[in-house]
Amino acid sequence: MVKKKFWRCYVCNDVHCGVAPPEVCPTCKVRHAYVEVGAAEARRVLGFGPEGTFSRDDFRRAIEAFAAPNEFQVNPNEERVATLINGIFENERNHGLKYCPCRLWTKDFEEDLKIVCPCNFPTHETYKGLPNGECWCGLFVRRKA
Amino acid sequence: MSRLIMFHGRECPHCRKMLPIVEELEKATGIVFDKKEVWHNEENANLMRSLRETIAAKCGGQLRVPTFFNADSQDVMCGEVEYEKLKAWAEKT
Repeated sequence: MVKKKFWRCYVCNDVHCGVAPPEVCPTCKVRHAYVEVGAAEARRVLGFGPEGTFSRDDFRRAIEAFAAPNEFQVNPNEERVATLINGIFENERNHGLKYCPCRLWTKDFEEDLKIVCPCNFPTHETYKGLPNGECWCGLFVRRKA
Repeated sequence: MSRLIMFHGRECPHCRKMLPIVEELEKATGIVFDKKEVWHNEENANLMRSLRETIAAKCGGQLRVPTFFNADSQDVMCGEVEYEKLKAWAEKT
């Protein structure tokens, strides 16, 4: 797997994680503004304490916004979504990342990144090419035409 | 009778749906599943991890739940299934 690094915009302190920095900062629009920083600095710049500050409501809003321009949507079954978000946050609290509650982490970090929600489910056999496709846990379902 | 294991997760909706189906099958047939929750019980999780090669081969390359495992034949079935499919799988020798 390609080694990703953290990058900080020297103008507005946006933080990017990737193999290379964005050419243009998406927030302040300054060109060539990113400098590489360490993970600890990136975390501090982002203002995350040990417990994080991203609530369940924040996550719910984030996945709705993530799904909006895509061909999938958050499952309309509210009870299922509530159960899953509860599990996702339990896993983050107990195991460090928002692991899918319907799969088990292997303790191989690179492998387990594949089950952090949202995962790359459009490539999975439970979604790809299926009219009623959904991610394994059912948090995301293909949007009806 | 084969030793059957159901690996499940407490916050997995598929598992929640399957648990009463498993219990119904147990009552009707006398078949017993050893139910092992894997996200809140490290011993159970380690058992499932130890079977990774066998389980992942049948479950999209991953350790998915619910997974039904026959400890004698090493047969694996994962995901939500209908009662009759579960029964047929469980009764296989």
